[in-house]
Amino acid sequence: MKNGETTVSHDAVNLLNNASNIIAITSHEFKTPLTAISAAVELLAARLHTRQQMDAFYEKNLSRITTEIFRLNNMLDEMLTINSIMSGRMTLNKQIIDVVQLLTTLRSNYFADPEDTRSFELIVTGIPQGIYADHNQLNRIFMNLVGNAFKFSREKAPVVEVDFEPHQVVIRIIDDGIGIPENDLPQLFQPFFRASNVNEIAGTGLGLSIVKTFVQENNGTITVDSVAGEGSTFTLSFLYHSDSL
Amino acid sequence: MQHTILLIEDKPGLRDTLQSLLELHQYQVITAANGEEGIHMATEHLPHLVISDIYMPVLNGYQLLEAFQAHEQLRYIPVIILSARSATEEVNLALEKGAAAYINKPFLFANLNASIQHLLQTTSGSAPLNL
Repeated sequence: MKNGETTVSHDAVNLLNNASNIIAITSHEFKTPLTAISAAVELLAARLHTRQQMDAFYEKNLSRITTEIFRLNNMLDEMLTINSIMSGRMTLNKQIIDVVQLLTTLRSNYFADPEDTRSFELIVTGIPQGIYADHNQLNRIFMNLVGNAFKFSREKAPVVEVDFEPHQVVIRIIDDGIGIPENDLPQLFQPFFRASNVNEIAGTGLGLSIVKTFVQENNGTITVDSVAGEGSTFTLSFLYHSDSL
Repeated sequence: MQHTILLIEDKPGLRDTLQSLLELHQYQVITAANGEEGIHMATEHLPHLVISDIYMPVLNGYQLLEAFQAHEQLRYIPVIILSARSATEEVNLALEKGAAAYINKPFLFANLNASIQHLLQTTSGSAPLNL
């Protein structure tokens, strides 16, 4: 009986490993056709422009296809991340990170929504110091929080404040978007939870649970202040490299 | 002056579309379906720039970068890597092996083109190519 249980347990582990591998491989494989679709849409748009046949209708709908392709790509990235967290394959590779440099690079590469031409404002105060963190995870944290700030606001550009305090860096991601209803705040970082006022704005509900996991993995803290209809501020803090040793 | 770009991509659909997009932006484009074919085309035509996928049959993008670095003339040709994998380790490995830029799939053509323009401007005149 004991042998039987062991076999079942091994089979279950193998099944989970296989399922996890399948998710990882197929998620990457999906990106090739997504790239081909996105390139084909851009080719159509370029051809319409050169033949002076582009009009507002084509422009709006072609741009919408591209937006949805990148949305789907973000969902795949979230699935890949959750998959590696759940399968225990997430490896930490901590190094000294320049937060301002990372945010500056993120700002110049940010293109989650091609229809949205805003760029976030970066305000730095204090004397910059490095933090000891995993580059991939930190990048994912900022991409998600900044991405949300854009996604849930349409007026002012989001603001990212980086405040180098005596023993820690405090980073605030501020938007003037739809905000989060008070009743939803306690569940906000739970997997698959989505606030009750997101309506048709797409998302998996996985992003903030990934953010929370990664913040904890890097010995940081995260809090949120929000008023429905007025906007949200996500506040992160990380100890400096010299203080975290 | 029209620049020649060698595009190395094993998926025919993406290769054809990218070729058309590049041609529409006034580049002369030659193509290859894997790393080995890519090295052959590069040696024969000495393009101004190479755009290459990583995961391809026969010879992959990392092996292509190694072969370029070991070659007297090819080592001066900038190579832009296009890949669906975005982990820092993979990006760093490609850059360590000599890639001039790394762009994640899917991408906006404007971003790829900005990279191409930047590399063509920074390498023109400095690369000892006999074109």
